[in-house]
This record gives sequence, C-alpha cells and structure tokens, in this order.
Amino acid sequence: MIVGRPMSRIDGFAKVTGRARYAADQQVRGVLHAYLVMSTVARGRITAVNTAGAEAAPGVIAVFTHLNMPRLTVPAPTHGFFKRYLPMQSPDVHHQGQPVALVVARTLEEAQHAATLVEVAYDARRPQSRLEEVMNEAFVPPPGSDGPNELTRGDVAAGMAQAQVRLEAAFHTPIHHHNPIEPSATQAIWDGDRLTVFESTQSLMNTRHSLSQAFGIPLENVRVLSPFLGGGFGAKGPVWPHTILTAAVARRLRRPVKLVLSRAHTYTSNGHRAETVQSLRLGARRDGRITALEHIVTQQVSRTEQTQFNSSEPTRMLYAIPNLRSVQRVARLDLPAQSFMRSPEAVTAHALECTLDELAYELDLDPIEVRLRNHADVNPEDGRPWGSKYLRECYRIGAERFGWSRRDPRPGSMRDGDMLVGWGMATAAHTAGGRPGSGVTVTLGTDGKATVRSATQDIGTGTYTVMTQIAADVLGLPVYDVSFQLGDSDFPEAYTSGASATVPTVGSGVNLAGTRALERLMALATAAGPLQGLPAARVAAADGYLFDREQPRRRVSHRAVLRAHGRPIEVTLTPPAAPLGYSTGATFAEVRIDPRTGRVHVSRIVGVFDPGRVLNRKTLRSQAIGGAIWAIGFTLSEHTLVDPATARIVNANLSGYLVPVNADVPHIDVSFIDKPDPASAALGARGFGETPMTGVTAAIANAVFHATGRRIRTLPITQDRLL
Amino acid sequence: MKLFDYVRATSTGDAVSAGGDYIAGGTDLLNLMKDGVEAPDRVVDINALPLGGISLDAGVLRIGALARMAEVAAHPAVRHRLPVISQALLDSASPQIRNMASISGNLLQRTRCWYFRDTAFACHKRRPGSGCPAQDGQNRWHAILGGSDRCIAVHASDLAVALTALEATVVTHRRRIPISEFYLLPEGTPERENVLESGELITGIEVPVTTLASRSRYLKLRDRATFEFAVVSVAAAVRLRGGEVDDVRLAFGGVAPRPWRSPEAEAALKGGPLTDERIRAAGQALVRDARPREHNAFKVELVQRALAQILGGFR
Ligand SMILES: Cc1cc2nc3c(=O)[nH]c(=O)nc-3n(C[C@H](O)[C@H](O)[C@H](O)COP(=O)(O)OP(=O)(O)OC[C@H]3O[C@@H](n4cnc5c(N)ncnc54)[C@H](O)[C@@H]3O)c2cc1C
Repeated sequence: MIVGRPMSRIDGFAKVTGRARYAADQQVRGVLHAYLVMSTVARGRITAVNTAGAEAAPGVIAVFTHLNMPRLTVPAPTHGFFKRYLPMQSPDVHHQGQPVALVVARTLEEAQHAATLVEVAYDARRPQSRLEEVMNEAFVPPPGSDGPNELTRGDVAAGMAQAQVRLEAAFHTPIHHHNPIEPSATQAIWDGDRLTVFESTQSLMNTRHSLSQAFGIPLENVRVLSPFLGGGFGAKGPVWPHTILTAAVARRLRRPVKLVLSRAHTYTSNGHRAETVQSLRLGARRDGRITALEHIVTQQVSRTEQTQFNSSEPTRMLYAIPNLRSVQRVARLDLPAQSFMRSPEAVTAHALECTLDELAYELDLDPIEVRLRNHADVNPEDGRPWGSKYLRECYRIGAERFGWSRRDPRPGSMRDGDMLVGWGMATAAHTAGGRPGSGVTVTLGTDGKATVRSATQDIGTGTYTVMTQIAADVLGLPVYDVSFQLGDSDFPEAYTSGASATVPTVGSGVNLAGTRALERLMALATAAGPLQGLPAARVAAADGYLFDREQPRRRVSHRAVLRAHGRPIEVTLTPPAAPLGYSTGATFAEVRIDPRTGRVHVSRIVGVFDPGRVLNRKTLRSQAIGGAIWAIGFTLSEHTLVDPATARIVNANLSGYLVPVNADVPHIDVSFIDKPDPASAALGARGFGETPMTGVTAAIANAVFHATGRRIRTLPITQDRLL
Repeated sequence: MKLFDYVRATSTGDAVSAGGDYIAGGTDLLNLMKDGVEAPDRVVDINALPLGGISLDAGVLRIGALARMAEVAAHPAVRHRLPVISQALLDSASPQIRNMASISGNLLQRTRCWYFRDTAFACHKRRPGSGCPAQDGQNRWHAILGGSDRCIAVHASDLAVALTALEATVVTHRRRIPISEFYLLPEGTPERENVLESGELITGIEVPVTTLASRSRYLKLRDRATFEFAVVSVAAAVRLRGGEVDDVRLAFGGVAPRPWRSPEAEAALKGGPLTDERIRAAGQALVRDARPREHNAFKVELVQRALAQILGGFR
C-alpha cells in the first residue's frame, strides 16, 4: 500500500528551491503593477478625489477611482462573493480599508509611491465598531446554506426542569485574521474577451464563476490558474473585490496587470473570524447526563453581506443532548465582511468545551467521564449512524499518552517549583465532506504512466501528495509513474479547498475515476496476452503490473497493455457528493503559569484523532501540529484590535498581531486511530484539516482553570487577565 | 515610499555635513519610510564610519555606535560585568534583526504606538496638532507614567532601559549626554523625543563598570515568548551589604514615553533588607503618580509584580 506511507510532499522540493511559481511569481510579459489606495474612513461617501499628483508621478500608466473604473456586475454570493457590492463603483464607503483608488504603474515601487499621492476627501459619519454596544440590534438571519440559524430540539424548559445542576456562562472571542504567509495576489491577462488569471485561491471554481459574472463573459472564457498557495486558512476561499478590480483595469488598459495585497491590505480584503459574544445555559443530572443546553451566539457582520455561516455545529452535533436550543445571531458593524477562517466552529466549540469542564467540576466528575456520558452514538441532528467514530478510543489513548490518571483535579494543586501547573482536556470535532463531488480525469498514457487532473487546489495541506498516493494505489502504479495536476480551471471542476472537504470530494473522484480506468485496462489485458481469458476478479494491479492473483508471476505491465492498445485510456467523472463525515479526537494540554506575572506557557499537548484512514501520516500530522499552534495563538495571543473612534484596525501587521513563535510551541504528541470510515469513497479517509484546532483551545483554557482556579471566558488569555 | 537621495559617508565630518537622516542597520528607518511615517529627502549611510567596536578601559565600557546588538550581547565583558545589557539585548527582537541593528539605531528607534505608525491616524508626534487617538483608543500598550494629553506612546528600546539603570552616557560627535538627560517626556511637544540637535551624530555609548553594574538583571514581560516588545520590563542593579540594600538602580520599560527611573522606589529600598514589605513599598512609590487609561490599568499592578519578581532574585 502506498496510501498510509509518510511520503514527503511531492511539491516540497520545488517549494524549498524556489521553483514553485506562486501567483505573483509567474512571469508575465509586459505586466503592469497595480497598488490599492484604501479608504481611511469607515462610513460615508467620497466627496472629491484628486489624482493629478499620482498621474504625474514617474511610471504611472493610469489611476482608477469610482469615477472611471469600468462598471461591473456584482457576482452572486452562490460562488463565494459575499460582500454584495463592488467597491469603486460608487462613492459609498462601507468600511475602513475599502479600495477607493487603484494605481497602475510600470513598477511596483512606482505604483506604491503614486498611491500615496492620491487625495481623497470624504463626508464621513461616525462608525460603530463595538459589538457590545449593538447587542440589542442583533437579529437571527434567514437560514443559510448550512441550515436554520435558530434550532430547537426537544423541550429546553422541560430539560432544564429535569436538571439537578444548572450552569450559565458567557464567553467572548475577538476578531482573528488568517495571516497566510503569501498575501493574496492576482495577475490578469486578457486576450480579446478571454481572461486568464493567475490567482492565489482556495477555489478556482468560485473565482472563475465570479469573474465570468462580473464581466458578463461565458464561463469557458475564464481560465484561473493557481498551482501553489502559500496558505489560505479560509482567506482565499471566497472571492474578493481586488481580483475583479485587477481584471477590470487590465481589460481597460489592454495590458496584463498584477496586484499583490500588502499585509495591511489583507486585514480588510480577505474577511476575518468575527468577534463573538456567546451565552450558554446548561442543565445536567448528577450522573453527568446533559438534559438541556441553550447556546446563543452573537457575532459581527458587515453592513453589506447577507450570507451568514452558522458556526453552531459543535452545539448541535458533538453530544447527545436531548433538549437543545441553538441560536446564531448577527449584529451589523462598520467593519469589513467577516468570513471563513480555519475551523470557524472553533469559537462555539471553545465555549461548549469550557462549559463542559465547568460541569465536570460542578459534579465532581472527571472531564473525560462527563464527555463519555454524553457521547453521541449517532448523529444527533438526524439520528443516523456515523460512518465510523472512534472518539471513545481517542479519549482512552489520549489519557494514557498524557498521563491523565495522575491529575489531581483540585485547582492550583499541581506545581513545578514556583510555577502553577494545569492539565486540561477537550474534545476535537469537525465535519468533513457533505459537499459536491469534485471532477477528476484519469489518463493512462501509452507509456504506462498516469496523469490525473482536477481543478482542485493544494493550499499547503498536501493535496498533490495524497492524491498521487491514492491514484498510485488504485491504478497499481508506483508513485513516480503518477502525475497529479491541479490548479488549472481547464481541468474538471472541483470543490473549494475548504470545509475539510478536499480529501472526501477529490479523493473519491480519484478513486472512482482510477477504478474505472483500471477496469478498462484490465478488460484490455484479459482480452489478449498473458492474462487472456482471466475473469476480472482474478486480476490485480501493483507496481506497474497487472497480475493473476493466484499466480502472481503471470503478469503484464500497464505499459505493454497500453502500447498494444495504441492510445491512452481516459476517464473523466464527477463522483457523487461526499457523505458528511465527522472527524473527532481528544486533546490534552498542560500549562505552566507564573503566579506572579500571570504569563501562560503551554508546555505539552497531546492529541489523538480519528480521521478515518490515514492517507499520509506525515502530511496529516502536519495538520494536527498546525492546528495546535493555531489554537495556542487563538487562546493566548491573537486578536485584531479596532480603534473605536474610526473603526480602523490598529494592528494590521505581524508585529502587532501576535501569532505564536517557536518558543510558544511545546512538543506536540500526535497520534491517529487509523481505521477506515466505510462511508468514505476516498479509501476510507475523511477530511481532517479543521479538526485539530477545535479541541486544543478549550484544553488550554481548561488547563488554565486547573492551574489557577480562574475561569477566563474572554480570549485571548493575556497575562493581565490572570493578575 | 518617497524618492530620496542616498549618500554613503566615509568620515564623521562628511556624515554630519551631508544633511540627511542617518541610516545604520535600517531595521527601523526603512519600515518607517515604507509606511510613510518618515520621508527623508536624503539618507546618509553611516555604516562605513569607524564607529564600531567594544572596549573596556579604566572602568568604562565603550560601545561604538555601529556595534551590532548581537555583537554587544555576546561580548564577554558585557555578559560578565554588565549582564543587564546582554540580557536586555537578547530579549530584544530576533537574531536576524540583532545581527543587523546598531546600538545607536536601537536607542533612536521610534515608538511602536500603532497610531504613530499608521499615517491614516492623527498623531501629535507625527503631525503636531493633529490629535492623539491613543488617549481614548486602543491603549493597552501605552504609558501609565510620564505621558501627557498629547502623547502616551511608550519608548520601545529594551537596551535604553538597561543603560538608564546603569547611568550610561551617550557620546555624540560634539558632546557627552548622561542618558538620564537624553530622552524627553512628551508634554506639549511629543515630536521631540531626545535632546539631539539636527544632524548630531551618536558616536558611542559609555557605561561605568562598577560592582553594582555586575549585579544587574533584566526582566521583560510580554504577550508571547520571544520576538515581541515589552508589556512591562525592569532593569535592576542591587548591591547588598550585611543583608541590607547598599545601592540600587531601577529602570522600567513599557510604562512611560522614556525609560523610567524611579528615585522614589530606589529610596524606599535603600538602607534596609529586601523584605516583601519594603519591595511592596518601592512598587507603590513607583506607581504613585500612575495615570492609566481604559485598557492599560493592569500595568500598574504588573509593573509592581515585575519589580517584586526581579528583586526577589537578589535576595
Ligand atoms: C520586528 C522587530 C522587533 C523588534 N523588537 C525589539 C525589541 O523587542 N526590543 C527592542 O529594543 N527593539 C526591538 N526592535 C527594534 C530594533 O532593535 C531597532 O529597529 C534597531 O535597534 C534599530 O537599529 P538600526 O541600526 O537598524 O537603526 P536604523 O533603522 O538604521 O536607524 C534608526 C534611527 O536611528 C537613527 N540613527 C542611527 N544611527 C545613528 C547615529 N549614529 N547617530 C544619530 N542617529 C542615528 C536613524 O537616523 C534612525 O532615525 C524590533 C524591531 C523589529 C523590526
């Protein structure tokens, strides 16, 4: 089996040697450089623009504002354009950092300099950016693509009445930003009314549809190329205005144009994890069984967006709670559109998993025991069984690896010298799949090698590598005879690299298309030559050969069969929608806290996960480690701060927005159950990218409680909160 | 970035007469220029000047203006005789930046106040008369001591805090300035941060090497483990005799627009043992005039705890 091996990334060599060409690295002859001028007010109208100085600056080709930007159609939100308006189409300003002008020059430096010379005058109104001040304006939005925003199961009042203990808790989570190392970049090249863009995107599909709509050109006229991404984390899943604006000016100027967002621009151009205020009411019996839960989440949205993602999945799916009310509310603020950020459910999962820890203390039960007593044996949403779920094993193995049984549950009871030590745990869980299948073409060439193509993306997670492994296994070829290609919208359309859906949606496509291609190859092989006359069931494929299962030496190479056939075998298909899977795990964290200064250091993390079959232990482990590091940032240091008077982000850079550094990251012990999910058509693998961060945040916060006896329900847990 | 002239000076005289902004490591100036916060017409590169080197002579350590942070931090005389300097430097920035950045540039780095560093905001320091949004804005990192209605930005240099505790002298091409007189409080003119005249070139730093200085330490508290500026920091040098504080120097970072010396806190410690009670009294003396804002009140408590922690290590 090739699947399961900890194969190094196929694209790793190209990446570390600089041969991998990211969107902005593609050399385009005659390309011009664009730079954005962003609004410095949050709410109001542009009253005057003076572009004379910029136009006169060296190297400048053109300066666009709302007055001369070509008129564009706002794409529908169905393909990820959520903002509901395009900037530079009117004088209206909806948030700080909205594009108000776009300078095109011969060089980047000239464009940047000229951008500083554009003068914009506004009629500005005082913006509102404080969520706590608009809580009374919050409303429940209409159902989105992921179901109703208000859901009741059973009877919460009755469940509360049955409860022997009742808890209430309020949580607050701040704005977060993705900060992929590669900022979004676009290069737009027109040939008549055909458009090619090099784009750093998690969704060729969304980008292509949105561009076709914006310019009113047929879908076939748009080609989107995105072979490599320097991370996305959700920032590049939706489509954002800068891509469309770049293509618009390239068309007007009849020259290719390149735009790279500055780090500061990414803070208002790519969405963010919205600030939330959450309240939970929970009732349980003394034995730990939850009888009722009400979880009300209020989060920020912008003035313009309508689409609302519901992040209550953990509340609805993680435990068997008979009486439930889950409400997702939104309140409008004069801030940029919020959007998806890796594990959007982490905010609700955090509150839920911290509240369960509170319940464990209230009942004097082990936190693992509380979770076991509420374990969801079937999907609580629809009562249907899971494809597979090994969460109980994750708890058991995790507890062993961590040494959980040695925990003295009394807060403040464990010490290391002057340091307070705390141990906490939480469940990790995220859905995967449940999305439309991704198209795949498998071509077996006359040289016996396979080319597999799909318009999917590798956002750094290892798509190139694991799809190559799947294809090699299914086709019975060595990995070096398989070339998996992605990142080109000319390939069969694939789903967005988001929602932990790539492995389920593309992996099933590679599996099915590969299986069909192999069937055709076997049909040829059993029609003539050494395997002639064998029933298909007796033939197997491995290492580039088809062979008789009963006499493996009776064999013929793929190459020989295909050469005899004289032309390639090609199969293109789109598999059925991937079933909704649930990838769970148990996470444990140890913290050390200096009681004098309140500084929290995470000193150990253990995670045991059930991702279905492990396709590649190395890339999967990287996801788990990355998720844990994200969780450290989420819980202890990351927050985007907004100036209350102007609604402008004050720390839109990596010096003010504190992602963890290596010294903040301890040893992370990761292991996997590695049992295939029979419901998965991707060889038993589920999606996994978003699971690992969901538990670790609460495990850390629960460890902080264990160390100090203090519940910090506002993130991040900076040292001032523990003084 | 605005277009500018670039001059590479080969002598101190050339540098001074070139009439531009000096650039040493460029780790701060270039960022400020890219962000439009500074827009010099001429940049004078001083890296070819003979202003490097570290030497110990007659009880004085001389650090050339162009000595790099990494080099100074690793110097044996600094590590053993003036440990607070080495510690403060190693707690600063990252190895890459410490390899590039000069000592003079470090002392003259501008504040990290985000309102100062973003030209879309008003800022009296950047544009006198325009306003100070930090007063009622996001001021978690801002000053609790020594600020004014026009500016509450904190000075960002860790080294300057250490040098303040050690009573170093800043040497320029034409005079010597005790570090206690080098930095200015903002009051009505936050745009003026130090007493240097236009074109005045720092040539080096002198630090008295004393037994007190050899018993010095640095404690920096911040929001992540490394590569981050101080939320609060303390440089302390303590000499005990017979269990009593014979001499003590304290300087604080992250709390004021300049490295903050507290004679009151030092006085509260002198002449007695380092008891919890006396340490507490010193902390209270330090923050007596503190004026916290909406988000930084915690610093009043945190700086006292930092003081207690560092002094505890001298017992
Ligand atoms: C990401 C990051 C993190 C950092 N973290 C820390 C930290 O934790 N602690 C800390 O203390 N610092 C920190 N710094 C600041 C860093 O230490 C300074 O940027 C550096 O010391 C500046 O030195 P330089 O030689 O590069 O100065 P330059 O950028 O070259 O110059 C800075 C200023 O000094 C002036 N100047 C330089 N030399 C002379 C001279 N001889 N005479 C007169 N004027 C002169 C220049 O004109 C300019 O105004 C950090 C910086 C960065 C970018």
